[in-house]
Amino acid sequence: MMTQMTIRGLLFDPYNNAYIIILRDEDNSDMLPIWVDRSEASAISFAMENLAPPRPMTHDLMKTILDTIGAKILSAVVTDLKDNTYLAKIHLLYGDSEYSIDSRPSDAIALALRAEAPVFTKEEVLHKQNSEEVARWLEDLKPEDFGTYEA
Amino acid sequence: MEELENTGGIVEHDATLIPLIVHGVLVDPNTDTQIVILRDETNTEVLPIWVGATEGTSIRLALEGIIPPRPMSHDLITSFMDHLGTTVKQVVVTDVKNNTYYATIHLSVNGMERTVDARPSDAIALALRAKIPVCVTQEILKQRGDENREAWLAKLEPKQFGQSEA
Repeated sequence: MMTQMTIRGLLFDPYNNAYIIILRDEDNSDMLPIWVDRSEASAISFAMENLAPPRPMTHDLMKTILDTIGAKILSAVVTDLKDNTYLAKIHLLYGDSEYSIDSRPSDAIALALRAEAPVFTKEEVLHKQNSEEVARWLEDLKPEDFGTYEA
Repeated sequence: MEELENTGGIVEHDATLIPLIVHGVLVDPNTDTQIVILRDETNTEVLPIWVGATEGTSIRLALEGIIPPRPMSHDLITSFMDHLGTTVKQVVVTDVKNNTYYATIHLSVNGMERTVDARPSDAIALALRAKIPVCVTQEILKQRGDENREAWLAKLEPKQFGQSEA
């Protein structure tokens, strides 16, 4: 079973100097937090905010190349969680064939956003992770932490 | 040298294009950028191009033949092309305006050639993965001129060499 997820936001994690992509399912009952580095976060935030950078970023190029080839981006799927690492696949339609290509979730999400394609998660991934980690992280977050990255 | 030996499939559109080798990637510890050093076969022409840290890392991994545990974005693009039967035929740094370099990537799609606009960093990262050289126009090497060289040397102060030794 697959659950469609929407990207609800990007949080900065000052402890790890990283960002967290927050995916939620439609009825807001499940959450999937995915830690990414700054460049991956920036690739996603540009697409979330519909900003066109002055020069094509790597994922813009990725989409242009797929458009040029004539391949359609069907979906991005978060397929597994192994050793705290999420795995994903990008589903493409090219000619009459469907292709499923391994990817980091950050690349899959950055590309899906640019193609306005849906992002799915396998249900077992949602069961494997419980959002305890983020809940704990949010509890530990003190108000002053928010101030540290307001530049 | 090795990079140049693998150019069998290259499309020679323009005899005036100069194929360059990626000599290395320098880390600039004071800014969040890295410098890709391109040079020609005889070492007479050197072209430094500033790139972002992520792109620089991606170029360095490809240069050193390191396969990261997780595919980087350029590995994913290469994987797309492998699955869909598309190859990168040629990469050309075409222009420089206000210290920004422009590049084009020439693809072979179903036997037809298609060209896409790219940043040089992405173009170089893909060229290395396709094992082809990075071509530049004569004009680029001319325009590079003394101004850029001065700026480059100014950025590379002796104290920074020490800091980049990690």
